[in-house]
Amino acid sequence: MSWLDSTVHRALVEAVLVGALGGVVGVFVVARRLPFFTMALTHATFPGIVIAALLGVNLYLGGGLFGLLVVAAVLAFGRGRGQDFSTATGIALSGGFALGVVLVSAQDGFTKDLAAYTVGDVLAVGTGDLVATAAVAVGVLLLLALVGKELLLAAFDPVGAAALGLPTVLLDFALLAVVEVTVVATVPALGTILAVALIVGPAATARLLTDRLAPLFPIAAAIGVGCALAGVWVSTRWNVATGASIALFVGLVFGAVFLGTAVRGRVRRAVARRVAVRA
Amino acid sequence: MMFFEPFQLPFMARALVELVLLGALAGTVGVLVLLRRLAFVSDTLTHTVFPGVVIGHLMAGDGGIFWGALAAGVVTAVLLTLLTHRRRVSEDAALAMLLTTLFAVGVVVVSRQTGFTSDLTAFLFGRVLTVTETQLAQTAVVTVVVVALLAVLRRPLLLRAFDPEGARAAGVRVGLLDLVLNVAVALVVVAAVKAVGTILVIALLVVPAAAARGLSDRLVVIVPLACLVGASAGWLGLVVSYEASVGYGVRLASGATVVLVLVAMYGLAHVAGFVRRKVGLSRARSAIVESAA
Amino acid sequence: MSERAPTLVLDRASVAYGDIPVLEELDGVVHEGEAVALIGPNGAGKSTFIKALLGLVPVVRGRIEVLGGPPAQARRDVAYVPQADTLDPDFPVSVEQVVMMGRYRRIGWLRRASAGDRAEVADALERVGLAGRARDRFGTLSGGQRQRVLLARAIAAKPRMLLLDEPFNGVDAVSQHALLEAIGSLKEQGASVVVSTHDLAIAHLACDEVCLLNHHQFGFGPTGDVLTPERLRATYGGHALELRGDRVIVTQT
Repeated sequence: MSWLDSTVHRALVEAVLVGALGGVVGVFVVARRLPFFTMALTHATFPGIVIAALLGVNLYLGGGLFGLLVVAAVLAFGRGRGQDFSTATGIALSGGFALGVVLVSAQDGFTKDLAAYTVGDVLAVGTGDLVATAAVAVGVLLLLALVGKELLLAAFDPVGAAALGLPTVLLDFALLAVVEVTVVATVPALGTILAVALIVGPAATARLLTDRLAPLFPIAAAIGVGCALAGVWVSTRWNVATGASIALFVGLVFGAVFLGTAVRGRVRRAVARRVAVRA
Repeated sequence: MMFFEPFQLPFMARALVELVLLGALAGTVGVLVLLRRLAFVSDTLTHTVFPGVVIGHLMAGDGGIFWGALAAGVVTAVLLTLLTHRRRVSEDAALAMLLTTLFAVGVVVVSRQTGFTSDLTAFLFGRVLTVTETQLAQTAVVTVVVVALLAVLRRPLLLRAFDPEGARAAGVRVGLLDLVLNVAVALVVVAAVKAVGTILVIALLVVPAAAARGLSDRLVVIVPLACLVGASAGWLGLVVSYEASVGYGVRLASGATVVLVLVAMYGLAHVAGFVRRKVGLSRARSAIVESAA
Repeated sequence: MSERAPTLVLDRASVAYGDIPVLEELDGVVHEGEAVALIGPNGAGKSTFIKALLGLVPVVRGRIEVLGGPPAQARRDVAYVPQADTLDPDFPVSVEQVVMMGRYRRIGWLRRASAGDRAEVADALERVGLAGRARDRFGTLSGGQRQRVLLARAIAAKPRMLLLDEPFNGVDAVSQHALLEAIGSLKEQGASVVVSTHDLAIAHLACDEVCLLNHHQFGFGPTGDVLTPERLRATYGGHALELRGDRVIVTQT
């Protein structure tokens, strides 16, 4: 009997892992304007996971493979005349997800699996899943420790990075791979749509709180972990969907910070005006 | 003949009419979404309308869905404008936050009901084969209203899409027009919720217009072509899922099958457009060579 | 010059976005058939000036009168020409359709374009030298040609005042010549022209008056009088380089 035998305890560990991972990776996602693309990734990994489950192959493999397909598809479709990346992303998103829906519906158990995939099921996380998520988190952290500075430069100043001779294509690919892996880790817990909340929200909130680069990561991670824990707690107390609870907390925190900084901005401007008038 | 036979069944016929109407509606609105590069905004709207659908259904049954969705659409449009007003949040991040938070509200509300899973599935993925005549009528009305509205506003819409600065200088009320478009998208979602669900509506909005654009450079061709692609994908999708079910015993979700047919058509259109341009280029090249000789 | 009616009157005007004043102490007059060049470094407020003439930025002090009234009321008779490179080259619209947009004001939303409208469009394209490209997709034209199409759009609107936002940036010689010709013929017909530009030679060539701007107005008057090295240096904050006596090259914009 270990502490991890309780569903709730496992859910809490998963929440911490996913919250931190999402928060940190989210800083890049927000900086490179990748939220919609991340959405497409979450939707498109779905058929990969279904096929992987059918074939008895590791889910990460299946999900990851389809994620790569999506990247290729978006790059291919987005280049045609009259096309653009947001349209291509929309097509990849809906096409990928429809494929998954069709595959699942061709099995039995259509309803339950589909809903679970869309809105997540943290409480169904097993110890094996925890190990996998932890491995992903460690892997991503290692990668960020190694090439974090380069990734950051490429994220905030692509032209400057290229000018410095950094292999921008490779870095872009590394970044997309990191996002994809984060998505595959987060989706089982939160579902396709709400995974984006944990990846984008904490980072976007952190961005409102500071203009400096270094604090963004710990702040985003902290917000991510906090909201994830709060969400698990609320969902076990009041019997509501876990993924949705987490996403709601992320949204509330974001909204509160947004309003707070907006008010602070107003006050500052009013004070500055008064000072200027007197001067 | 398998392309027409299934539709002798009343429920299949109704499903067909619904999808043809939706194809025309989404094709028209979708061209504007394409021109304005609003795929993410539209995707956001499809997800933020979800809590409106859920709460409307909760309060007033099937009839409440329409009004709940409409209210949610308007709320989203307003919130989006507020969030992006002073540029402190990038539009992408703002959309993602709106999308996930409001969607989560919907999920939470549904999860507190019993029959959670099947209700959720119906909202998210639709059940086109259970469309009633009342719903057909609703879809028809929405289609007529939206298409008429866009037709009346076509000149300012075109100018604004092409040249927002010039539009403003000419006195066009850009903010109002944008709100109109957002409301139009919300209406498409409202109409499509029953047929394909909120998740797959984005396909109806984005794919037919993109396919049509790959085939033509002229708006006067693109718009009807988009409607045609949308409608015929609905028809083919129904045929395929029916055949699979009746002929091969494989149950394929109808809404999702329609989307797959759409994406296949898009792929074909893309290839056809590519070939056409290559042929056009080589013809131009040989014409130059001939005239130089 | 004094018998011609004033089309633009600036009377110690200041213009602001919210609380932040962007342009101050604007003062000068432009008459029918005259062209004024807006000259100043990037970020000096030239685009804001143009927006103010369209009534899109509020006047917080003094007065701006366009065609005898407040700017917003004059919009019917004022045509704006944006920079062509801000427009999406993939957009599925033909050259003809772009120029027809200039007629929208007169056609309204619902009526069909008349033969008269189509004739105006053809005439406008003729005036910028692009009559043969009417059916081509807008994006297939070169940058300079697209700028000419946008000018044709303005011409088709039959304006009494034309506002051009840096139309000569990165434009080829042929297009530049065509633009200058078209502007010249518009002036002859009595329209006033306000054109922002970095090119001092164009100001000398095409414009009767010059307005030197860098948040404040550093001069407003006949080109020969105002385009002096001292005033330019003042406007550009000391970054103008003198060359060959009175001809000045600006080194940092």
